[in-house]
Parts: sequence; structure tokens; C-alpha cells
Amino acid sequence: MRGRPHLYVSYESEQSLLPTWTQRVIVVLFLFLMVLIPLNGGIEIGERVFQPLGFLSDNSWLKILSRVAIFGIGALGLNILTGLAGQVSLGHAFFMGIGAYTAAVLGGEVGKAHWGLGLPIWIWLPAAGLVAALVGMLVAPTAVRVRGLYLAIVTLGLVFIGEYLFRNLVSITGGSQSGRKFPELEFRWWQSEEPALAFNSDGPIWAPFNWLDWLLGPWINFPADVSEEAKTYLILLVLLVVFVVLAKNLQRTRIGRAFMALRDRDIAAEVMGVPDAKTKFEAFAISSFYAGVAGALLVAFIGRTIPEQFNLLLSVQFVAIILIGGAGTVAGTLMGSVFVFVFPRLVQDFSVWLTETVEAGGVLSSVADFFVSTSLDDPGLVSTLEGVSPGLNVSQLNLVIYGLLIVGFLIFEPLGLYGIWLRIRNYWKGWPFTY
Amino acid sequence: MIPVLIAQAAADSAVDKLVSAITNGLSLGAIYALLALGFVIIFKATQVISFAHGAIAALGAYLVAYFATVINFPGDLIGGPTWLQWTVSAIFAVLMTAVVGLVIERLAIRPMIGEPMFSIAMVTIGLDIALRIISNDFISTEARPLGDPFGTSVWEAGPVSMAHSEIAAITVTIILVVAIAWFFRTRIGIAMRATAFDQEAAMAQGISVGRIFAIAWAIGAGLAAVAGIFASLFPRASQGVSSETAFFVFRAFPAIILGGLDSVPGAVVGGFIIGLAESFAGKYLTWSGFGVGFSGIVPYLVMMVVLLVRPYGLFGTEEIRRV
Amino acid sequence: MKLTRKLLVLLFVLALVAAACGGDDDSSDTTAAPADDGGTTETTEAMTDEAPETTEAMADDDGGDDGGDAMAPPTVDVGVDLEAGTISIGMLSDLTGGFGPLVTPIVAGHEAYWGNVNANGGIHGLQVELVVRDTVYDVTNHVTLYEELKDQVVAFGHSTGSPHTLAINEDLQSDGILAIPLTWYSGWSDPAINANLLPHGAPYCIEAMNLIEYIYDVAVESGIAEPTLAIASFPGDYGLDSMEGAKLAADALGIEILHDGSGTIIPGQDLLPVADAITGSGADMVWVTANAPTFSEIYGAAIAGGFEAIWSGAGPTYSPAFLDSPLADALQRDYYGTFYLSPWGSDSPGMQEMMGVFAAANPDAPPTDFYGEGWVEAKIMHEALLKAYELGDMTQAGVVAAAKSLEGIDFNGMAPTETYMGEPNDIVQRQSMIFRPDAELRAAGGTGTRVIEATYTSPTAAGFVFEGACFEL
Repeated sequence: MRGRPHLYVSYESEQSLLPTWTQRVIVVLFLFLMVLIPLNGGIEIGERVFQPLGFLSDNSWLKILSRVAIFGIGALGLNILTGLAGQVSLGHAFFMGIGAYTAAVLGGEVGKAHWGLGLPIWIWLPAAGLVAALVGMLVAPTAVRVRGLYLAIVTLGLVFIGEYLFRNLVSITGGSQSGRKFPELEFRWWQSEEPALAFNSDGPIWAPFNWLDWLLGPWINFPADVSEEAKTYLILLVLLVVFVVLAKNLQRTRIGRAFMALRDRDIAAEVMGVPDAKTKFEAFAISSFYAGVAGALLVAFIGRTIPEQFNLLLSVQFVAIILIGGAGTVAGTLMGSVFVFVFPRLVQDFSVWLTETVEAGGVLSSVADFFVSTSLDDPGLVSTLEGVSPGLNVSQLNLVIYGLLIVGFLIFEPLGLYGIWLRIRNYWKGWPFTY
Repeated sequence: MIPVLIAQAAADSAVDKLVSAITNGLSLGAIYALLALGFVIIFKATQVISFAHGAIAALGAYLVAYFATVINFPGDLIGGPTWLQWTVSAIFAVLMTAVVGLVIERLAIRPMIGEPMFSIAMVTIGLDIALRIISNDFISTEARPLGDPFGTSVWEAGPVSMAHSEIAAITVTIILVVAIAWFFRTRIGIAMRATAFDQEAAMAQGISVGRIFAIAWAIGAGLAAVAGIFASLFPRASQGVSSETAFFVFRAFPAIILGGLDSVPGAVVGGFIIGLAESFAGKYLTWSGFGVGFSGIVPYLVMMVVLLVRPYGLFGTEEIRRV
Repeated sequence: MKLTRKLLVLLFVLALVAAACGGDDDSSDTTAAPADDGGTTETTEAMTDEAPETTEAMADDDGGDDGGDAMAPPTVDVGVDLEAGTISIGMLSDLTGGFGPLVTPIVAGHEAYWGNVNANGGIHGLQVELVVRDTVYDVTNHVTLYEELKDQVVAFGHSTGSPHTLAINEDLQSDGILAIPLTWYSGWSDPAINANLLPHGAPYCIEAMNLIEYIYDVAVESGIAEPTLAIASFPGDYGLDSMEGAKLAADALGIEILHDGSGTIIPGQDLLPVADAITGSGADMVWVTANAPTFSEIYGAAIAGGFEAIWSGAGPTYSPAFLDSPLADALQRDYYGTFYLSPWGSDSPGMQEMMGVFAAANPDAPPTDFYGEGWVEAKIMHEALLKAYELGDMTQAGVVAAAKSLEGIDFNGMAPTETYMGEPNDIVQRQSMIFRPDAELRAAGGTGTRVIEATYTSPTAAGFVFEGACFEL
């Protein structure tokens, strides 16, 4: 079959997750790069120091990438519900909150005012997903009854009801604007043991012995100590990969196909034996499971937060991720979550660069000056004097661009980043012919 | 004698409480009704729930603050008493907000015709973020008072006590509801109803659907601005328009769903029901076991219960589903 | 359609290019506010003409330019670049979130302060740059941005929000970095928490003790024999800390609390139930801990129902813009306010100096009382950096050590003196400024905040034994 990647000789091979060798190679290479990012000093292969995407090994970038992974997991859940099953939901933040507080009660420490059992991660993480899934099943019957935008508003109501609950259940959440501490990202076998794997402190990747070094040490020189941020990023990356595989696999199972049938033509699907209520039930359960896990990971990643975290803006962020990325596709969802978190940083760096250019003078300076307002009489898009000069400050500009991007993507590219990617790929596939 | 007096006083205060729950519910409901009306008109014409409504309301209220207090335009051209000047400037600001609605429709909504409803709703969420930030930048550090003529005056008659601005809110709402009911009987109004019913058939009859869309957004934005004004007056947010004004609109969502997304009378009835429900919950459901902020979610609970019984709201048309 | 798509792709590519550029000079990239340098050259000119007296209060003036007062250059690590002659200070500010309207002028206060310091020779010749980041009052952002800045800055000029600051507090301690919390939570004075924090101003609970005792005296003087109290607040550290103080004061003075609405004020919701509960209690005094929009709603509803009492509230509850609103008359009758420093336009030398700098830099900037807050924070940071320079250790840890040995920072009457060395019970700030709204002052170009007690300490607050946070988070 060499040279004819699209010739499938069996149904299994067509349905496999990565049907072609090119895809397999690209995915493996990509994962390898992702794993290498946090290894700060770079790795030595023989004489050469190899440090791909070196600038990303900066701790602040690792934090951003960790958020990408956490929100990627959550967005995969929303993608299953909205992208695959076609059920519009603005209530994702609520399910994340449920997961977060399940994790807090099971894994958190007992405080003066709040509960905590101090159980290890292998209990609280799955439990966070399961409890959220249970709550999702409770909500599902409404979705059977209510459709379209009505459902969007009902799930919006869910967020407000969630805020009310989180605010009042002080012994679980620590109370409004006060918050509580959450379980640490570390692996223990049981309560209050020394952690076998700690993802929240600097040191070797695994305390007992540096297995990566032991395995590959003779050929590759890995840094012995890895920073806390790098370890957090690595474990989140592993979890993300697990959830990506699960989500990708779901699409080719009976359940996944039922979701898509329901999305495309619900009555036709029902006629063909896809039960409406049961399928929506499953969609809400699976999606909420993802949300619950993402919520638990998010709070463990932050360490301490307030119930107001789980508000409507969080839900909107998820919807933005799947719409910018391209609803219904796993790859698009991941691209969307990279975009939503990396882009603000780029705008920030860009405006810093602009202001520096203005200062430095030279040819570019007058161009940059057009955009930057440095004093009261100087109009410009970006203002460097917070609050007193005309124009938006950098953070305001960031949010405006974020809002306009959502609009722009929906208007010009309904398939999102994934659509752009498809177009680029198809262009090169046919190159030098246009089709 | 004394027990009688106490009973009398208790009865008085019970009446007072009931009356104030009703008046407060009505004035709150009037604002919700205005907002819901704007939603419904936009939804009927363009099948969009505008999540940008809050930002538009805040922008409208800011424009009122700007035109009526800062530059007093065009009120100063007319002269006359201050309240007249203020009203003229405020109406002008509301019209400006309607123009903003037009622009939004033309730039962001028109290209989305034919896309799934949720995508269009999401476009309005994006617009909401951008508009809210820009209007917050205008509002700047401190809240902007609207410079309204109502002040803190209160009208009292027996147990009834209402701020002038509350009476104005109810009056204006009634006037606008009547005006819109009348509008739907005019030529453009009938064209709008036709468009809402079937866009293609309306086009075939020579109706410019695009123009109808534009008019619907203009009216919706204008209504949002009026609601924004009353939401930023004494005794609600006496301080004027602030960065929190935009979030007021989320409290009106249950009203539109309750009444039915596509029903004009439903919006008005839904608005008043939600207003009264919230007000009564605030007055009577004060048992501490409910926790903090229970009256805030009562509208959503009412909405969910109604939806479980009637999935398209009280007055909404049931969508006919075909394979 | 095709063209627009191409444009979009082009934009995306541009963004990527920008990213590359941003990434490249990541290490040297610091300033979100470097334009200060541009701005301050103007400031210098204006300053030297009209306000030379301000320099004496500032850093060592021109002496710094020659490389220091015979002082060896200090040890440095992150955030101080001796070759480039810069010091970077991080700012975790909420510019677009719930407190954006308040924090934005606070940041402007910082910028004005450092602009002035830089124009007068900086810190021994080192120019100070601010690296401002917007947290949107979101804990996740706060943590991420802390991580971004900790490798760029020597210390944090402020960190907005209590839960937010607590979320980075452990990291601050393990990384050995100093931060000034932009919240007045009483826990910041607890040595178990504040190893790397420099709180300033009277904590919320002490503020409540001060003001409640003050209005108690006012009520008694006006002929009410046993004034009663109603209290209501936000949930969370701000509201509940303040409520604890109110209850302590009420206990000490034997005031009956007729309504306890601790934590009942939820922003964004109908606040009539709160107003009803307050008016229904019929109390003679009301103490509210909230923000300006929510307070105006509660107060408006209360006076619409004809309720009259002495009203007062914690610092952020009041906004000078109230005086432009319909509430102005009623507030001038009812309201007693408090803040952590003196308001814009008051005649303390510190404030006059600050106003001079502002007048030179931004003559058109609208006056607000929050510039002063930024100024005070920057002043504390300035003292810490000067001390660190003198001790010869401007590393992040060195600045922490220097800051914790500061004594008697004097703000020239603008804010009460702060000390960071000694027993927590001795150094916790107990002085509050007490004011009344005054529309005439505002009409005359001020903010309308008339100081009646610049530094007031009530007997209750003075006798209060501080043993940790009033309200535990």
C-alpha cells in the first residue's frame, strides 16, 4: 500500500485513530517536542545541546501551557456535548465547580471552617469527574424537554444557581470571596503519606530515582532537576493526552455516532433507533465528567481560589475555545485552547515591543507611535499611561481583541482554526495545482 | 387595648410590606419588560438572542450621561426648563444607541444569516466583551451620574410610596409597549411580522429583509438604552452608570424565556412576573436557611419550573420539527 | 470573502511574528509602562521650574547620578540591572476586572511617583520601571502572571485582592520576593502570613472599630441615649473582617446590633432585601462594608423609604462621584466615611507634593482619591529599595530583609506612619482618616472629601490586642 495512504483495505484501518504513517510520525514528533519543552537547560545528545522551542521553557510560558492543557480537557468535554451531540451549554463552569469542590472535600486538608478528607489524587481526580457526571445526568432531563437557545439560557441559569450554592456552602467552598485551599498535585498512596510523586515542588521527575535518566541516560543527558512548573506541565500533558485519546476514540464508538446523528437530525436519529433521552443523558454525563476533571485540575493547579471563579465568563471561555478552534473536532478544540491562552500573551508582548520601538526611535518608531499613546495629547490605540490618557490600556485592548476575534472567526471562518488548517493542508496536498 | 393596637400596627406593617413588594416588583418588572421586549424584537426578526444587550444598555446609559450632563446636546438648543432639556438630550442619546444597534447588525449579524443560531448568539457574546470594555473605558474611574430631573423625590399616597423615577419607568414602559403594539400594525411592522414568520416568503413579497433586520436591531438597542437609563437611576443604582450596569441584563434573561422567546406580550408579562417574583422573594423569603442571595436565583428557578411544563415559555410558539 | 480570509490569515501570521519578537527579547522585556521615561522628561522640565522643593522629599537628588554617595554598588540578582541602570518593579493590578475602576488610578499614582523619582536621579542613579500586568481580578491569572513577573522584577509594587494574594503567598515566601498587598485584610499583620508582605493602612476590622466608635460619639452628642446599630457587608475577607471589627466595637461600647447582615451584600443582585432589613431594624447607626455601586443601591432604597440614620462605611464603600448623583444632599446629611490616607486636595505637605507632580505630568487627569493610594504604596517600596541599597543587598531576598527592618516611614501627613519592625501588636496600623462628603469642596475642584480627623484612633482600636486575623480566611 506504499504511497497510497488513502487506500484502506479494511474497515478497521479506516477507523483507526491515526490511519496514515505521516499522521503517526507527526503526532509522535509533536508529543516528543511537547515533552522536551520544559526541560530547561535543553538536552545533550552526544556533543550537541538540543533545545527545541526553548523560549517556552520559561516558567510563565509553562504556566500558560498548563492552563492550555487544563482548559483543553474541559473544552474537549464541551466539544463532546456541543460539537458532537449538538446540545448548547453555557453551564460548563457549573460542572467544573462541582468537580473542583468534590476534589476539595475529598483531597483537601481540613480547615477551621471547611471539610477535607486529605485523600490522594487517584481518588479525588476520578471522583471529581464522577460526581460532576452524576450532576450532569440530573440536568439532562431538562435538555430532553428544552431545546436550542432555550437550553442555552437554562444552562446559563445553572451557572447562577451554582454561584448561589458555592457562595452558601461555606463548609465546602470556604465562602464567597474567601475561598479555600485545594489538594496539591502530588501522588500519594494514602492519606498524609510522603508523596511518591510530587508535581508541585522542584526536584527530579520522580523522587525515588530519576527514571528518565536511568532509561535514556547513556545516550541523552537529561537535566537532573526539573522545576515545579515543568513537572506540573508534564503531568497535565499526560492527562491531556489520555483525555484526547478517549475523546477521539469516542467518536468512532456507537455512542459517539449516536451523538452525531442526534446533532444532525434528531428526529431522523430517533426513527433509526437512537433514543433521544438516553443519548442526551450520556452526552451530559460524559461532558460533565471532563468538566469535573478539568475543574479539579484547575483548582489544584491554582492552589487556592474563590467560588466566584466558576462564573459565566468561564463558561464563555469554553464556548469561545471550541468555536475559535472549530466545533466538533478534537484537533480544533486543542488549537482553540492554545489560541485563547497564548494570544493574550502575544498581544501583551507585542504592545511592549511597540512601546519599546517608540522609545528606541528610528524608522519603525514613527510607525509604532501611530498606535501608541504616550501622553495625554497623543492619540493612539494602546495607552501606556494607565487610566489617565485616551485610548485603551493594554489589558483592555487584549479583551477587545479577544471579543472581536470571536466575532471575526464566526463570521469569516465558521470552521475555526481547524478550517484554516484544513485549507492550508489541502493547498499543499494539491500543490502546485490549486485543487 | 394594647394587643389591639399591636395587631393594628402589625396589620399596617403587613400591608406596607405587601404594597412595597408590589410597587417595587412593578418598577423592577418594567425595566425587565423593556429589556425583554428588546430581546424579543431582535429575536423575532433575526432569530438571535443578543448577549450584547447588557453592553448596549450600559453604553446607552453612558451616552445619556454624556449627552445630557456633560455637553447637554441637543437640549441646550431647545432651551426651556431643565427637565425638558434633559429629556430631549436623553432621547437623542437613545437614538444614538439605536444607531449603534444598526451598525452592529450591519457589520456582525448580517454576514451570519443562515448560520446556526448558537453561532450567532456567540457572535453577540464576542461583541458584548468588546463593547463592554470600550464603554467601561468611557465611563472611566468613577460611576457617571445621569443628571436626571427625578432626583430623590418620592411620591406617597397612603401605604404606597414610589420614587418618581420608578413611576417614570412604569409610565415609559407602558408608553413604549403601546407604541410597539401600534408599530406592529404599521406597514414596516407588518413587514417585520412577515419576515419573522418566513424570511423567504417575505422577500418574495418585496420586503427588504435586510432593512427589517436593521430596524429590529435599532429598536432593540434603543429599548436596551431606555432600560439602561432606568437601571442607573435612584433608587436602583443611584450612582449612575458604572461598570456593573452591563451585568444587570442577566437578571432579565429569565423574563424572556418565561414569556417565550418570540412573543411580544410574553416579554411584557414575563418581565413583570420576574420582577414581582424577585421582589416578593426578597421581602418574604428571608428565612436564614435560604442563605445569602436567594432572591437572585428565584427568577431562574421560576423559569426552570415553567420550562419543564411549557418548553417554549408561556406564550412562545412551539417549533415544528420535521425530519 | 476570499480577500477577508486572506487578511485574517495574514493577521495571524503577523501575530506569530510578533510572538517571535516578543519571545526573543523576553529577558530584557520589562516595561508595560516604560513610556514614563518619555513622560518624565516633560515632568522634569516642568518640575525644575516650579516645584524644586519636592525634590528634597524624594530620593537623593542629583547626587545619585554620579554613581552614588560613595556607596559600593549592591549585590543584585533579579530585577535590578546595574549596567543598564534600571530597577524593575512588578504590579499585579486589576485593570479590567471588578475593581478596575479603582486600581487603574492607583497604578497611575505609582507611575507618577516613580516618574518623579526617576526625574530626580532615581534610586542612587538607578531608574525605576514598572511592569504592570492585568489580573482581571482572577486568581488563575494572578498566579500565572506572578510566575511571569517573578523572574523579571525585584519586588511587587502591589498585589490586588486578598484571596489572590494568599494564592501567591506561599510562592512569595519560597521564592523570597516582597509584595505590598493592595487589600487591608487584618491577616496581613499576622507574622505567620506576612513574612514577605508589607501591609499598610488600618486593617478592615480596626477601621470598623475606629469609625463605629466615632459615629457612636456623634450619635450620643446629638442626643440619642443608647444608639443602636445595623451592619451589612460583602462576603469574604473584606466584608467579614470589617464585620468582626464592628461587632468588637459594639461589644466594647455596649451598642445593640439590631440587624447583622454580615455577608449579605452580593454585587449584581437586587439589594432591596438588604435595604429592607436595615430600615426594618430601625437602627440609629448603619455600618456598611461594600463597594460604591452596591452602597448607592442600598442607601438609595433606604432613603426612598424615608429611613434616616447615621450612615458610615469602610473605605471602598464610598465614592466621591456620589456627590454628583441625586444622593448628594442625603449623603451630606447622613454619611461619615473613612479612608486609609488623606484625600486629593487636602492640605498635608505629602498630598500637596503629590498634587504638584500630578499637575506637572497630567494637568487634565480627573482628580480621584485613589492616586494617593498608589503614591503611598510606591513610597513604601521606595523606602524598602533605598534601605536595601544602603545595606548593599538588592537581591529579591535582600529587599525583603530590608523592608522588614523599616521603621517610621513618614508620608508627610498624607497617611499614618508605618513601621515594619517589632511585635505585630505594636506595629499594626490603628489610625484612620475620617471624612464627610462636601459638595462645596467638590464644586471647588476637589473630590469633595472633607477631612474631619486626619489620624483618628478610637479607644477600642487602641486597646485592641492583635492576635492574628480578625476573620480567618
